[in-house]
Amino acid sequence: MIENRNVQKDLEQLDAILKEQGISRRDAMKMMGLGGAAFMVGSTEAQAATVAKASSAKGKILIIGGGLAGMSTAARLTNTLSNPDITVIEPETLSCSYQPGQTLVGAGLWKKGDIAYKRDDFVPSGVKIVKEKAVEFDPENNTVTTDKGTKISYDYLVVAAGLKLNYAAIKGLEEAGEAYSSGDNKKLVDVLNSVGASSIYTADSAEATWANMEKFIASAKSGKKVKGLFTHPNTPIKCGGAPKKIMYLANSRLEEAGARNNADLHFYPNGGGMFGVKEYHNAIVDQFKARNFKWSYKHNLIAIDGENKTATFNHHWTEKGAWDEDLEEYGVELKSEEITVPYDFIHITPPMKAPDEIGNSKIGSSKGWIPVKKETLQHVKFKNVFALGDIAAVPMGKTGGSARKQYKVVVDNLISMMESGKIPKTNKEYAGYTVCPLITSIGTVMLAEFNWTKKPTPMVPLDPTQERYIWWLLKFYLLKPMTIHGMLAGKA
Amino acid sequence: MINKTITSIALSAVAIFALTGCGEKNAKVEAKTYKYTTVQVYEKSCIKCHGKYGEGNPDKKTPALNDRTAGEMAQDLYDVKNGGTGIGGGGTDHEIMEHNMQKLVDQGYDYDINSMAEFLSYLIKNK
Repeated sequence: MIENRNVQKDLEQLDAILKEQGISRRDAMKMMGLGGAAFMVGSTEAQAATVAKASSAKGKILIIGGGLAGMSTAARLTNTLSNPDITVIEPETLSCSYQPGQTLVGAGLWKKGDIAYKRDDFVPSGVKIVKEKAVEFDPENNTVTTDKGTKISYDYLVVAAGLKLNYAAIKGLEEAGEAYSSGDNKKLVDVLNSVGASSIYTADSAEATWANMEKFIASAKSGKKVKGLFTHPNTPIKCGGAPKKIMYLANSRLEEAGARNNADLHFYPNGGGMFGVKEYHNAIVDQFKARNFKWSYKHNLIAIDGENKTATFNHHWTEKGAWDEDLEEYGVELKSEEITVPYDFIHITPPMKAPDEIGNSKIGSSKGWIPVKKETLQHVKFKNVFALGDIAAVPMGKTGGSARKQYKVVVDNLISMMESGKIPKTNKEYAGYTVCPLITSIGTVMLAEFNWTKKPTPMVPLDPTQERYIWWLLKFYLLKPMTIHGMLAGKA
Repeated sequence: MINKTITSIALSAVAIFALTGCGEKNAKVEAKTYKYTTVQVYEKSCIKCHGKYGEGNPDKKTPALNDRTAGEMAQDLYDVKNGGTGIGGGGTDHEIMEHNMQKLVDQGYDYDINSMAEFLSYLIKNK
């Protein structure tokens, strides 16, 4: 049973907004023909959105990680199997926290308590929870061992262990070590505060980001000319839009305070563009220009000097090289230099990696991410192993929106494996769907949806490159209840 | 400020999508036709620098490809062809090959990523 006053509060606020438009939520749902939308109107008799086929297949399923991806998988398997035997290993008590809300916490629009969700409130009935950390993987013998020495055997393994934020890879932040988004990150906050840096990638440091941003804005308001930097690292990251979202929100907050003219806002991404999809890249460049943002491509943050308040970047580029007779073209040479920039406010998006104990194990890979066939999410070597969410080696896959598509594919394929030992071609494949609700100001969002075709794939027939208030309502009020009531229940 | 109709249309679509998951109609990556088969692409082009069995060429500083699984290979090929595997401004791990790949695609040496990864894996195993 899920009861959470935060979700209730969101729905009440959405009601108030709809009321201003002259419609109640109930009426809105009726107008939309959503009789079955029980979960959205607060009923406990939520109907399964996509009714998974019941299966009597048997097997011992072990899930590593009880975050959004792992717990949703556990819930859907429980809904589907008539005799489920499911164990989830998850040491973090706040593992079900709503990470997409960290951006809003960082801009002072939500409180940390608004996104804290407890693991133990989301363990599906009948699922065993092991509150330990999985540290050893023996896929040849189908066993996993925890930090407390508990050895667990399985028939099928689902790896949904998330990723680690590698702050330690940045010189000057070594003491911060590696962190997960949820849970206690006081030490990280202390290290970041000691150098005057911010990062919304953990709940704790998102809260600290708002305190730093308030100081930054006050300084600009006092008449001082200030400089804010925003970074994007050279690894795949969760929520690829967040490094920009926090910049857009800082801009909004500065405008509110009437202090925007005193602040210089500069984006430093490692890559050579704003977004992997051309249409969204172009839209973002226009949005940046309209807001008088500055940006420098191909800059990767490598060091922070807290004493002098400077950030050092590796600036890299290619230059025309020698004629290459094999290529039948001129090749390119890599060039790089170090650039040091002063800051008054810096938002750091840390490099990210798979946890070492998994990435370096037999189920990992040279880059750590779990290698899976991206369409089926089945491990490339071990057919009884699946991976999804942040830890899976899936292009563009590290968002809640991706996980929302992936967990259904994993459940279908896992059950097929249990039933017949193979995945039929008729099973639905994951096509790389991702959604990035790119907050462009307080009150507007560009809903960037796309898949591996690298073309916009909007779910409604509205120009997807436009910033809209309606998508702000979706981001601010609807996505969290949809996640909490729908996805974590294994239904939507 | 906002148009009521648009609000309800969009909210409706969002909710229907969320509830039924019908927004994605078994979306497959569009079928694409290529000038050469995967094997032809390898034998006409890749082989020159990456070798007969993906062993690489130290003289040209071209990396070996025989040190990774088909799954890892597919990831790397995706990165090379798309300038990265992330969403935002992360960039690629293969800056030189990103440039070269673009030139090769322009010359007609385009290919399906999964097919090439599997072919390479076959080559390495059957050396």
